[in-house]
Amino acid sequence: MDLGSLLTGAISDTLDVSLPLFRVELTLAATIVLVLLCRMLPVLRWLDSGLVALGGVAFALWYAWCDLRGLPGAPWPAVAAAAVPASRELFGGLLIFDPLTAFIRFLLAGFLVLYIPFTKISGIPDREDGADFYTLVLGASLGMCLMASSNHLLMLFMAVEMASVPSYALVGILKGRKASSEAALKYVVYGAGAAGVMLYGISLLAGVLGTCHFPSMAAELGSIVGESPESFYAAASTGPIMVLALGSLMLAAGLAFKLSAVPFHFWCPDVLEGAAAEVGGFLSVASKAAAVALALRVAFGLGWLGGEEIAGASALGLADVRHFAVYLIGLMAAVTCTLGNLAAYGQTNMKRLLAYSTIAHAGYLLMGVAAAVALRGVDPEGCRRAVAAIAFYLGTYVFMNLGAFALVAVLRNQLRSEEIAAYAGLVRTSPGLVVAAAAVLVSLIGLPPLAGFVSKFLVFASIVEAISVAAERPLMLVLLVVGGINTVISLFYYLRVLKVMTFDPPPEDRIATPSTVWLPGALITALVVPVVVLGVFWSGLYAYAQLAGTFAS
Amino acid sequence: MDLATLLPQLLGIAWLLPLASFVLILFFGPKMGPHGRNAAWVATAAIVTSLVLSLVAFVSWLGAHPVTAVHHGGDHGAAHASDHAAAGHSDASDHGEASGHGDAAASHDERGVHAPVAYSGDWYTLYEGGRLKLSIGWYVDSLTILMFVLVTFIATCIHVYASGYMHDELHDVTDHEVTLADGHHLHRAGRFPRFFQALSLFCFSMMGILIAGNLAMVFIFWELVGICSWFLIGFYYERQSASTAANKAFIVNRVGDFGMLIGLMALWGALGTLHFADAKVVGADGQAATVPGLFSLVRPAESGHALRVPDGMVKFAAADKVARTPVAEVAGKIEAWRAEGLGRWLLFIAGVGIFCGCVGKSAQFPLSVWLPDAMEGPTPVSALVHSATMVAAGVYLVGRFFPVLSPDVLLVIAYTGAITLFIAATIALVANDIKRVLAYSTVSQLGYMMLALGVGGWVAGLFHLVTHAFFKSLLFLCSGSVIHACHTNDMRKMGGLAKVMPYTAGTMLVGCLAIIGAGIPFVIGLSGYYSKDSILAQALSFSQANPRHAILFYAVAGGAFLTAFYMFRLWFMTFAGKARDHHVHEHAHESPQVMVMPLLVLAVLAVVAGWTLPGGFGIANLLEQSRPAGTVDTTTGGFAFGQTLTIPAEYLSHGEPFHATATWTAFATALGGVLLAAAMYVWRVISPAAVAMVFRPVYTFLANRWYFDELYHALFVVPAHGLAATASGIDQGLIDPFLNGLAWVTRLVAGIDSWIDRTLVDGLVNATAAATWSAGTRLKVLQTGSLRQYVAFIAIGTVALFVIASLFFRASLAG
Repeated sequence: MDLGSLLTGAISDTLDVSLPLFRVELTLAATIVLVLLCRMLPVLRWLDSGLVALGGVAFALWYAWCDLRGLPGAPWPAVAAAAVPASRELFGGLLIFDPLTAFIRFLLAGFLVLYIPFTKISGIPDREDGADFYTLVLGASLGMCLMASSNHLLMLFMAVEMASVPSYALVGILKGRKASSEAALKYVVYGAGAAGVMLYGISLLAGVLGTCHFPSMAAELGSIVGESPESFYAAASTGPIMVLALGSLMLAAGLAFKLSAVPFHFWCPDVLEGAAAEVGGFLSVASKAAAVALALRVAFGLGWLGGEEIAGASALGLADVRHFAVYLIGLMAAVTCTLGNLAAYGQTNMKRLLAYSTIAHAGYLLMGVAAAVALRGVDPEGCRRAVAAIAFYLGTYVFMNLGAFALVAVLRNQLRSEEIAAYAGLVRTSPGLVVAAAAVLVSLIGLPPLAGFVSKFLVFASIVEAISVAAERPLMLVLLVVGGINTVISLFYYLRVLKVMTFDPPPEDRIATPSTVWLPGALITALVVPVVVLGVFWSGLYAYAQLAGTFAS
Repeated sequence: MDLATLLPQLLGIAWLLPLASFVLILFFGPKMGPHGRNAAWVATAAIVTSLVLSLVAFVSWLGAHPVTAVHHGGDHGAAHASDHAAAGHSDASDHGEASGHGDAAASHDERGVHAPVAYSGDWYTLYEGGRLKLSIGWYVDSLTILMFVLVTFIATCIHVYASGYMHDELHDVTDHEVTLADGHHLHRAGRFPRFFQALSLFCFSMMGILIAGNLAMVFIFWELVGICSWFLIGFYYERQSASTAANKAFIVNRVGDFGMLIGLMALWGALGTLHFADAKVVGADGQAATVPGLFSLVRPAESGHALRVPDGMVKFAAADKVARTPVAEVAGKIEAWRAEGLGRWLLFIAGVGIFCGCVGKSAQFPLSVWLPDAMEGPTPVSALVHSATMVAAGVYLVGRFFPVLSPDVLLVIAYTGAITLFIAATIALVANDIKRVLAYSTVSQLGYMMLALGVGGWVAGLFHLVTHAFFKSLLFLCSGSVIHACHTNDMRKMGGLAKVMPYTAGTMLVGCLAIIGAGIPFVIGLSGYYSKDSILAQALSFSQANPRHAILFYAVAGGAFLTAFYMFRLWFMTFAGKARDHHVHEHAHESPQVMVMPLLVLAVLAVVAGWTLPGGFGIANLLEQSRPAGTVDTTTGGFAFGQTLTIPAEYLSHGEPFHATATWTAFATALGGVLLAAAMYVWRVISPAAVAMVFRPVYTFLANRWYFDELYHALFVVPAHGLAATASGIDQGLIDPFLNGLAWVTRLVAGIDSWIDRTLVDGLVNATAAATWSAGTRLKVLQTGSLRQYVAFIAIGTVALFVIASLFFRASLAG
């Protein structure tokens, strides 16, 4: 094979296969360029950068929707669209396009379509900062899309950094505010540390396995682990397996930073408290969805190659790898969930409370991931259902958590405060907002008939399924118990906010601001109505979540 | 039009009209004229139309199935009896054995294969899934139509009567029986439309029971009737006594309905259907098929309608054997299992379960306590709901369900009836409240009907149901008229009213004569004469066939004596002699015409309802058309009490020697009762007070109604309260502190955690930041303070994870 045919092959692969399936990211990139152009060229300066961004994002959403509907087995298949392959490696294996990619992309694009109007309505950023803000948001989203589809350790690192670096700047977007800048700096340095650890882990893994491409890594990993005569853990004290374990732990540390999982969560409360509520919403929803997808990718990519007939001898070794991963993720999930919920209990600042709430929800999501990985080898159908549960959870989480942060933003504009105490007696002046808050918070607890209940139920159902068939039965039992107890604990602090809003008398010195005008009202409604509707009519979203689940096939 | 399509349409419309009236009054009642006056017209129009439709249905039935004298009693009954005994009907004598049915069926005369004419079908299927089919359907035979006419007719009378009686409710009412906390009497708005609204709903529900084509539908309307009764008893719900009585009636009925639910479950679980009659369905393959109903399952036509345990119940009872038998062989072994007696208990439980519901609704022992209290409702309600129709629903259901009842169940029914009639009659002897006497009399007469059904007197029991409905509603309306005039229920304050209220006194006398079964022996009598005689005759026939149950006959005969005594005690105390309380007497007056007219109509019917016209037309012969298949001849069977029971054929009781003996017994006991009452209350030969003194313990016992209320209070109410108090105590003393403790621990842990987070982590960071803030720039603060800490945590976290992985994982997972 000469250089010419290699080049031709690469070009045709890129042009014919990869780029058409990469159009969502391309659209986002083009939008970034357009927004920057608008700022630079005086001719285009009259254009509002938010509207430009919204237009671009709408295109991206349309493409993502087409990709999703074009997948084989989609619930409402596209009429005339060309069928999209079920699973395809892009750009020579750097990325992978499969149902999970399509679902997360669609989720992110949909999130952006809700998010950009939200920021326009709530007034942060101002017009001056608009172009910067949206460039950063779109850039980070681009990185998140890549996170969800990465199939290669280098791509993984690139994507994580692509998502993180704009986020650092976003946190500091409130220039001149001490808390904001402090938060940004903490985030940058903490992120850099985490990235360093992760990069170290990547280099260890790549060094031992000789490749960064997930399937190749899995094959290598399986044969190394499978070849050791003793069991995996007996051999772990020496040789390459120890290095591999250390490397994967370091990789996990990097991912845990993005997920804000314990013990890499320290940045989260400080950053979310310091940053504007708008930025907090972005970090806690979009970033989390991408990180969960990436965790699934890594765990499945490195822990599964196919059944025994495909993977051969390495299948046995990979079972040990998955075992290791399940315990790692499961224990992390249990601790994260518990610590997040307990720490949220004493908070007085609403944003800080929501920060701990996102930590707790990361724990629930990780429980689902643990169950999915545990079911991977033993019950493919159950595994698909577990992935579907996670995907559904992410879908509803968009509305719940963005709704919560939108409420914080709207109330901040109204009350000039983000302290919970300032919400006292709000029901007398803004009953509509309190009802919306009730829906969102109760859904975050996970009570029927709201969307949060269905998601939590699905995740717990997967854990129960794992209890009955998976090898990691005791851990799954622990996860179920911990999840149940945590749900109860979470009741206290979410409902305390509602109690303050409804029962406590309003403070004497409350500045009488005009009640919600229709734009914020419409925004809140658009976010809260799905929380209620998805709690009852959840089959539509769940059908797509199940589609995303088929990536594990 | 074909009768099979005409009857359901007529009766269906008659059934739904009161519902329409209910809905109309519910939504527009208060707007119907001043104070809702016209609601009475709406309700009355609906029920009158229903009556007309029922009469049309009745006439068309008679056109198609003329009523003639039934020729298996009297003249050649005895001969038949010996014939049957000689022929030895194996099918009838042993329901465990099905051999020899072919020739037995062939040798049957027209009675042996007799199957009653009935039309059935479904209007609407509520739900169909698996074997379960819930539908709104009809089962129409002469009993249904007769009951329709009866209920709509009495309801019409009551509607007319009530539009006069409830006049007070047309304006604001001051209820003198309710004293508020401030010492004033309750003053409230009138509730005229509400009364007729409930009455309409009641009529709809009652007719729903009558027309029901399956037990599930019966149960639905059974409960609806119960809730209507609750509305009507508690009509004056501000009165403590009324609301308590309403609740009591409702709760006591629930006890019976619990048994009924068990019966329903037994039937449905074992047989998979609740339909009475067979249904023709078109299967998936387009073939018409017949799905057997309950009646055919228990009394299959191919075995001459002899009662046998259905296959489903046998299989259910032999479930363990079925599991061990290959599927193909199961069908062949059913006969053997049936012969072993498997499934008999299930049939018994099903029958007794359904009967439990009837016990509650018909106020039989031991659930009879609610009916006397139910008299707290307005008097028209007592007349309609609690004497003539609703309480008869239990008797009706036993009659309707009769083919499925095994001899053991019938024995249970007979004894329940006997106990009820005796207890209620004794209590009525000493009661002084005019409505309560009638209430206990109702309970007692219902006991008569149950007993009649239990000893195999299918026609006798239902015949008495019809005649009783006429004279008991008459008696109640008369008592209402008296109460209306005297403003008191206490008979001790009445007396000598015959001169003031001649119509009421006269019609009530007719009612009393009817209920005691007065008549000239073998010549003519009032309606009660015929129905009661047939009950007595059947009880006698049963007693002779089963000597050890002879007490049933004595119960009936003794009951007849007691009935005569307490009814005439009532009449004499009220109307005869001199006025006891002049204040009451002076104000007494005859009731208005709208109230007297129904009395006269009902009095005429109380006289003639039992007559059989030349040519055979009469209620008894009409009922005979619907006699359940397989109950014509004498049958024997039974297992539950370790004995064989003989249920004698009913036509035997019309012949000698039973008929004559029964007639003379009835005449003698009735006359004796009347004479004793006259001796005590008219001629004053015997002083009632002296009798009460002599038999003081007995008198006290009876006056306190056998202490049933106290007994139930001690047995059920007190333990229930105790249980509730215990549960509440556990809740408050154990569970609450536990939860509080849990919450406290959670708070504590969270507090510690938060304290760690704030003090150690944040506090450290913030303290460092705050301390250096004043000294240096922000950048320096962040560089030197918090961040170092944070970044250190990354390294520490990774190392910690690694340590955990290498120690904990290996230790816990390696094995």
